[in-house]
Amino acid sequence: MQPSGTALFVVLALPFLGAALTPLVYRILGERTAYFAAAVAAGCLAAVGALYGTEGTVVVEWIPSYGVELAFYVDGLALLIGTLASGVGVLVFTYSGGYMHGEPGQLKYYATLLAFMGSMLGVAFAADLIALFVFWELTSVSSFLLIGHYQDTESSQYAARKSMLITVAGGLFMLVGFVLLRDAATAVEGVESAYRLSGDGGMLHHADAMVDQLRAEGLFVPVLLLVGMGAATKSAQVPFHIWLPNAMEAPTPVSAFLHSATMVKAGVYLVGRFRPLLLTDEWTLVFGVLGLATMTVTAILAVGASDIKELLAYSTASHLGLIVAGYGMSNYLGAETGAFHILNHALFKAALFLVAGIVAHEAGTRAIDELGGLAEDLPLTAAVTVIAGLGMAGVPPFNGFYSKEFLFHAVYETAEASVADGGSVLWWALPVVAVFGSVFTFLYSIRFVMLFFGEKPDELGEVHAPPVAMTAPAAVLGALALVVGLGGVTGTFGVHLTPVEEFVKSVMESSLAHGNEHKFSYYLPTEVTPWLIMSAVTIGVGAVTYPFFDRIRDSVRAVRGVDPLRANWYYDGATETLDRSTVIDIVQTGHLRTYAIALSLATSALTLGAYAAASVSLPALELAGLAPALLVVLGVAVVGAVAVAAAPSHISGVLTLSILGFMVAIFYILASAPDLALTQLVIETLVLVIFLLVLDKLPAFYGTVDRVRAGRDAVVAAVVGVTVTVTVLVSTAATPHDVIAQYLLTYAGVPEIHDPIFVDAGGGGNVVNVILVDFRAFDTLGEISVVAMAALSVITLIAMRERGETQ
Amino acid sequence: MTLDREPTVVARTVTRLVVPLILVTAIALLFQGHNLPGGGFIAGVLTVTAFVLVYVIFGLDYLETELLDREPSARYETESGIIREYGQVGAVGLAVAAGSGIAAIALGYPFLTQSVAFVEPLPVYDSLEVASALVFDLGVYAVVVGALLTIVAEVGAE
Repeated sequence: MQPSGTALFVVLALPFLGAALTPLVYRILGERTAYFAAAVAAGCLAAVGALYGTEGTVVVEWIPSYGVELAFYVDGLALLIGTLASGVGVLVFTYSGGYMHGEPGQLKYYATLLAFMGSMLGVAFAADLIALFVFWELTSVSSFLLIGHYQDTESSQYAARKSMLITVAGGLFMLVGFVLLRDAATAVEGVESAYRLSGDGGMLHHADAMVDQLRAEGLFVPVLLLVGMGAATKSAQVPFHIWLPNAMEAPTPVSAFLHSATMVKAGVYLVGRFRPLLLTDEWTLVFGVLGLATMTVTAILAVGASDIKELLAYSTASHLGLIVAGYGMSNYLGAETGAFHILNHALFKAALFLVAGIVAHEAGTRAIDELGGLAEDLPLTAAVTVIAGLGMAGVPPFNGFYSKEFLFHAVYETAEASVADGGSVLWWALPVVAVFGSVFTFLYSIRFVMLFFGEKPDELGEVHAPPVAMTAPAAVLGALALVVGLGGVTGTFGVHLTPVEEFVKSVMESSLAHGNEHKFSYYLPTEVTPWLIMSAVTIGVGAVTYPFFDRIRDSVRAVRGVDPLRANWYYDGATETLDRSTVIDIVQTGHLRTYAIALSLATSALTLGAYAAASVSLPALELAGLAPALLVVLGVAVVGAVAVAAAPSHISGVLTLSILGFMVAIFYILASAPDLALTQLVIETLVLVIFLLVLDKLPAFYGTVDRVRAGRDAVVAAVVGVTVTVTVLVSTAATPHDVIAQYLLTYAGVPEIHDPIFVDAGGGGNVVNVILVDFRAFDTLGEISVVAMAALSVITLIAMRERGETQ
Repeated sequence: MTLDREPTVVARTVTRLVVPLILVTAIALLFQGHNLPGGGFIAGVLTVTAFVLVYVIFGLDYLETELLDREPSARYETESGIIREYGQVGAVGLAVAAGSGIAAIALGYPFLTQSVAFVEPLPVYDSLEVASALVFDLGVYAVVVGALLTIVAEVGAE
């Protein structure tokens, strides 16, 4: 069924509209803006709900004459991410209402969070590569703002910069990949619009032809790696996982929303989206290895964590690794793993983050060693933690078990098939690594659950009861996770949780080759299979080693302490080296002139380069027909210009500059343009008066200028001058055939025969003015808006600079 | 935004004479703009020039203490005082300009359609041309005056 354009429009427009309205709403509602934002998210969720069961493309024409359009695509995968973004959004906004109580910068917080939700929905539904890229980078920008929420603390700044550098850099790699893809798509028959990814006439529907074309151009592996870079940086895959633990500097609702349920899912979304297009042996190798390595390394790091949010951050990276590894596997099982685990992970991890927020809020600490026995004070939270934590560990019958079982199955079958095909025995490393990593997952999950049990440390003070706004969202997520888990139990007896299964099936099909269908159902295993043994080994080894958790953690910390083994060591080293290098001193001098030179030269180079590329020929100068008076005026203007350059003091400089200005005004008069002349005169006068003001505060004479700098300035001035002259000559020489001037002249005045009231002509003797206020009034409206905007920015820059955000 | 030195008597006297002339000229330019050189933008800039002249010669507070007969507003104050009033002039201007366009929509024409009416007979003038574009031009004038004065007063206080 074709999706409804209106619902899609609501989904994408509502969050941004909400973000724009936030300042107004905040004035009225104050802290209760959280519930306004939750309502916006609920609206989006409802609109996403209206799209369920539909599939297809919605195209919005933008500039039809150039074939520029905005295309959106709805299918299972898009709906899954859309549901997560808006559904978890509702819960997180509600939760924020309790969590952010009394925090600074709430206006910015809610506006950014809403804008983020819109961008994430855009990522989910974008059907062409450019739209995908733009929304993708928007999520990075909003993540930057939210991580840096406490903008005065050093660690927040560091964390925000780090995430920005890594995710945006990855996005740029991805952009190059997209451009290469477009290049290949133009050569493939059937791809209608070169940037179109999904839907009819998109790249995904012509996957085989695209792969052949890419291989013929030798671009297949580069594209795979470039797109992979985008996904790996966004989804915090090894070795780019380092930004995610730092990102926990953000308020906890942000961590739950962006850094577990949605934004980091953009990377795996990309993998799932491109899987039908690029699925080959290279794909399996790249994403299988990447995913499993991430899953294992970050699971080990999570064991070494000392802070509950840090533990959850590493664990998120680890589970994203699991999803990537799933999508990396070649058979349908891979798609199944990825699709189902995105859902499961979002449910249990968002719940756990909200739990972590409650613990930090009510117990006053996030240090793992200082916490214990919380179940006594927080019984509901403890129940949620048990459900979500065991799901994370992969213990049956909780939801994470099923998707992990799918992963084991997929990995096992892939390894078996590859070895049977004559592949290296090394393929068997995949299932071994999968089990090894899962043991650590089990360990840290149990450790997290144990925060609520055992003895309560003495130094832990009184634990308050959290507000309902905070427990309810966590409980909802926990209940959903439980329902999904129990669906597997009933599924064993033939009673399937049909809505979930149907939905996951549609998500899965998004990542299968076009037109493939596969049924999806999940249930507890009823017979002994290799993958069941893998699960049993995981849980068994985990349970046996858990008593030695502290010893394992200490050895992890010891290994983590070795510098060359830390990805952070490389990151910090690289940024510090750059900070200290001399390049910075040359590029970023802090002097206005450096930036002015760079800007002028770059603009000139681009303009002249464009003329050269389009091989524009210079028209001949015709001086012969000019009136002598004009020549005299222009001559004086030139003298004035030279005098400005030679002026020894500010006073003479300003005065000679106005000679130039007034000569131009006279030139306009001679060229019969009285309006222009008037404007020029008035502006010139105003500028002169303002200059007189400033002059009083400046030193009377310039200092001596050294020759090198004078020479450099002269060159820059000459280049800019040449560019402007060439532009004027070229643009005035290009006279269009149907001249608009005649139309304007005909209709500007009062017609000879006219009614007392008429609208079809300007009715004014001054054609210029009639153009300004009638024919081109829309332009003028735009210009005065710009003038008003300039005044606003001056106020903001000067009068409000001291004010900060303390409202 | 005052000169460090006390301005000369000549400067003060000339300013006193010239400022009303400039303002009248500006208004004239605004109203004749439809048929003769002039218009909202030029008139606006000219008006601002007159104000700036007052600022330069008599100082920032003169306008409020002597002409409006009230306490001068604090520097950088944007919530109230003269800068806020300038801002309001600009805002009203923008609203008038946009509103004149919306009025056209209300009458069933495309956005910003202008019309002209001739009122006749009139006793002295015989006939008078009334252009709806003048409303739009008034908006332009107010925006230019409001915005530029905001900038000048704000930067001047600096």
